[in-house]
Amino acid sequence: MAMNMNLYSRGDKIFALATAVLIGLFTVATLYPFIYIAAVSFSGGFAAAAGKVVLTPVDGTLAAYKYILSEPKFWRSYLNTFIYTIGGTMMSMLIIIPAAYALSRPQLIGRRFWNLFVAFTLWFNAGLIPFFLNMRDLNLLDSYFGIIIAFAVNAFNIILLRNFFESLPNSFEEAARMDGANDFQILWKVYIPLSKPAIATITLFCIVSRWNGFFWAMVLLQSEEKVPLQVYLRHTIASLSDDQEFTATLSSQPYGPESVTAAIIICSIIPVLIIYPFIQKYFEKGILLGGVKE
Amino acid sequence: MSGVKLEKICKSYGRLEVVHGIDLEVNEKEFVVLVGPSGCGKSTTLRMIAGLEEITSGDISIDGRLVNRVAPKDRDVAMVFQNYALYPHLKVFENIAFGLRIRKESNDHINKTVAEVSEVLGLTPYLDRRPAELSGGQRQRVAMGRAIVRHPKVFLFDEPLSNLDAKLRTQMRAEIKQLHKRLGATSVYVTHDQVEAMTLADRIVVMNDGYIEQIGTPMELFVNPANTFVASFIGSPPMNQMPAQIASSSAGFQAKVNDEVTFALPDNARVEAGQQVVVGVRPEHLSLNAGDGASAIPISLDLVEPLGSEALLHTSIGEHSLVVKAETHGDITHLSEVTQVYAPVHLVSVFDAESGLALTTGQRG
Amino acid sequence: MESSQRKHAAAEGSSVRPKRSLKHRLVWLVDHLKNEWQLYVMLAPAIIWFLVFLYKPMYGLQIAFKDYSIFLGVKDSPWVGWEHFQTLFSNDQFIRAFLNTIKISALNLLFGFPAPIILALLFNEILNATYKRTAQTIVYLPHFISSVIIAGIVTTAFAPTAGIVNTVMGWFGLDSIYFLTRPEWFRPIFVGTGIWQEAGFGSIVFLAAIAGVNPSLYESAVVDGASRWQMIWKITLPSIMPTIIIMLIIRIGNIMEVSFEMIILLYQPSTYSTADVVNTWVYRQGLQSGQYDVAAAAGLFNAIVAFVLVMVANTLARRYGRTSLW
Repeated sequence: MAMNMNLYSRGDKIFALATAVLIGLFTVATLYPFIYIAAVSFSGGFAAAAGKVVLTPVDGTLAAYKYILSEPKFWRSYLNTFIYTIGGTMMSMLIIIPAAYALSRPQLIGRRFWNLFVAFTLWFNAGLIPFFLNMRDLNLLDSYFGIIIAFAVNAFNIILLRNFFESLPNSFEEAARMDGANDFQILWKVYIPLSKPAIATITLFCIVSRWNGFFWAMVLLQSEEKVPLQVYLRHTIASLSDDQEFTATLSSQPYGPESVTAAIIICSIIPVLIIYPFIQKYFEKGILLGGVKE
Repeated sequence: MSGVKLEKICKSYGRLEVVHGIDLEVNEKEFVVLVGPSGCGKSTTLRMIAGLEEITSGDISIDGRLVNRVAPKDRDVAMVFQNYALYPHLKVFENIAFGLRIRKESNDHINKTVAEVSEVLGLTPYLDRRPAELSGGQRQRVAMGRAIVRHPKVFLFDEPLSNLDAKLRTQMRAEIKQLHKRLGATSVYVTHDQVEAMTLADRIVVMNDGYIEQIGTPMELFVNPANTFVASFIGSPPMNQMPAQIASSSAGFQAKVNDEVTFALPDNARVEAGQQVVVGVRPEHLSLNAGDGASAIPISLDLVEPLGSEALLHTSIGEHSLVVKAETHGDITHLSEVTQVYAPVHLVSVFDAESGLALTTGQRG
Repeated sequence: MESSQRKHAAAEGSSVRPKRSLKHRLVWLVDHLKNEWQLYVMLAPAIIWFLVFLYKPMYGLQIAFKDYSIFLGVKDSPWVGWEHFQTLFSNDQFIRAFLNTIKISALNLLFGFPAPIILALLFNEILNATYKRTAQTIVYLPHFISSVIIAGIVTTAFAPTAGIVNTVMGWFGLDSIYFLTRPEWFRPIFVGTGIWQEAGFGSIVFLAAIAGVNPSLYESAVVDGASRWQMIWKITLPSIMPTIIIMLIIRIGNIMEVSFEMIILLYQPSTYSTADVVNTWVYRQGLQSGQYDVAAAAGLFNAIVAFVLVMVANTLARRYGRTSLW
């Protein structure tokens, strides 16, 4: 819908300028908090506490980073996040992909029932307490496996992938069937290769969701050495702002609660920032796949 | 006892019956074409032979073996789909080899067989390409290659040429015919195009509305259509058909369309005086010149459509239209003066008005 | 030459076919399972997962009607009927939490829902492709950042002495405010944070809808002398209205789903009066205080309201568009 700007009337040109400015403002507003936090993280403890940091580091120092990165628990939580993310995503793929395929096949007996069975969970959720008690009953509290398995599946992803499989022409399955393939082979050799964008999108959703997962990890995990990054992050930030004793010891250091908070935030964001440019094309397509069909 | 045998095959979707008791026997090495308008049940029948559709009732045997309950992959049939169904992510070689890999054939065997088949189909230079990089005709050949490479007992074709443009279709038709001559495999081919049926088939099965209207060789269907449906379906332009009444005369029976127009009927027409019939004669059988025993038909000319060496004359007889195909000999001016055409007696067909069944059968001389 | 089989078929009275007997069906079933058992194997893990993790808790939901004791377990805990619900509806805090849920959702609807739409419309007017691309990339980013980090940034930014907001306020001579302890500030900050995090990413759906509008509509408007501003109102917005309505319906269906994780990260006891929602109340009562049965009742109430809303939303969506959320 881009138009040649030469055809713009004067009013239009002003309007175009205004929109560009508004977008610019929003973009800056989006970006600024990150720049701010980065600046605080590199600033000296006093300056940060005094609110002197605006855009650039004041009393620049790496002290906050050294403090964070020297704490083994930090690295441990990173490792845990990797475990949960990779393990969780793989588990998701193992369960979701075959199920979505089966649900997309017209010859499945009870197909309507199974689809309803899956979709119902999107509409009705038993709630926090029953879920928690269930995990306790299953002995899955405070376990890596518990976190990995209990959040491996959601109906939304299954339905998304199922719809995608359904959109592929049936003749692929028929031709493969005539060639002698069974359902496993058809899925593995034909449908999965043909569904790369959809699968990539779902994988992306899973990875992001796992990486950022916080609440249930916090609730279900009791051992400190099993917590993922976000939980460690939360505990650290909370203790930095709440714990007076801790804050008191910090006043003799070149870093302060604010700069440490900022530093640990930056450390947690880095991987996301690095991956982000590469995934952009995937999630844009993905929204269209899962988007509203007219 | 080989080939394909369909006995009383019926197909219903819920309460709706779409194929009503079909009997058909395809002989070994025969090329049979199922032809008919959309929705006549030809594709459904083909898919039942393939095993892709469940048979509601009746029996299908392949090579003497009842296959009703046999899965498609065990029926030893191969199918060429209308939209080719080539795996877009695989190269041509792998597309053709797909079925062989599933059956765990040895690499040597696969390489050899695929090479042979690509050679026959002229696909050898394209083995490394993906379907998206091929033209329509090439994709068609890959689809056939995939079927051929399994050396099945029966080949099934589901309107394979309908996605091609007219010129390509003509070319591929010839190739399919040559291929069949070369491989000699039993084939069942579905199309809605009667020209394809005429050119490819050893025998044609004309289907309509879930019934078989007629089975016969192309020429049988052309010369002796069993009813008005077949008569109008086969042949292009279609056979002229008009309602008439039987009158008897010294020379035999005649079909009287109106006071001016009467067609003399052949001797073996099973008619009675006063019977209501439909009289039919093909455009190419009407002549501009008087002949022995040919009925003279006065016409009024509406339009001349030049086609090159032939022309179609659109004429009227009273309220009915009559199409005549005539040779132009390079010049159509003389055609605009035609006021009378001639229908040779042995080329006139007559059908019962109510049932549409042919009343002229047997030897046509 | 065979003639038409039609008369044969008609003669045999072929319209009367044997009904599919039980034996026939059984035979079909056996064949089907023989050939297609793999499909059921593929489906099984997911079904089992749903049963174990999502359906089994529904069974445990009955503690909402029981005096739950860990020692007795779900089955043997005594039945108390509606007692917990009576407790809930006479509990001021719970009622407040419920009202807060609705109020915050309403605010989100009022401000948070239009934001991605406006953003999409603005993006559509940007002529420089590079500028547009860059801006989009930046604006999508917060969606991928975890709520913990977002909350951490917000907390730091709004801190009383150290935070940038108070620093800037100081430039204008205003006194510093400890924002996140003040109930009147919680909701604006919360909604604003939501917009920051999700408006960008949320604009993708609308941008896709805008991209689908027939270009010749704009071209004929140009010829008619319309300005870009007019085109937005007269062409773009009406054209994407179906998408907007569907998204709105989905949003309404999710009213009870205020992102309580973010609330937990941002609220304080001093802001409970405006910040506490049903799920955070459940979290404190249930998971932190161990009052499982009452909390479960609250959760059930929440789930039922949400279910009704989603059903209504779904029906509306299906009636409005030919879409459903299946």
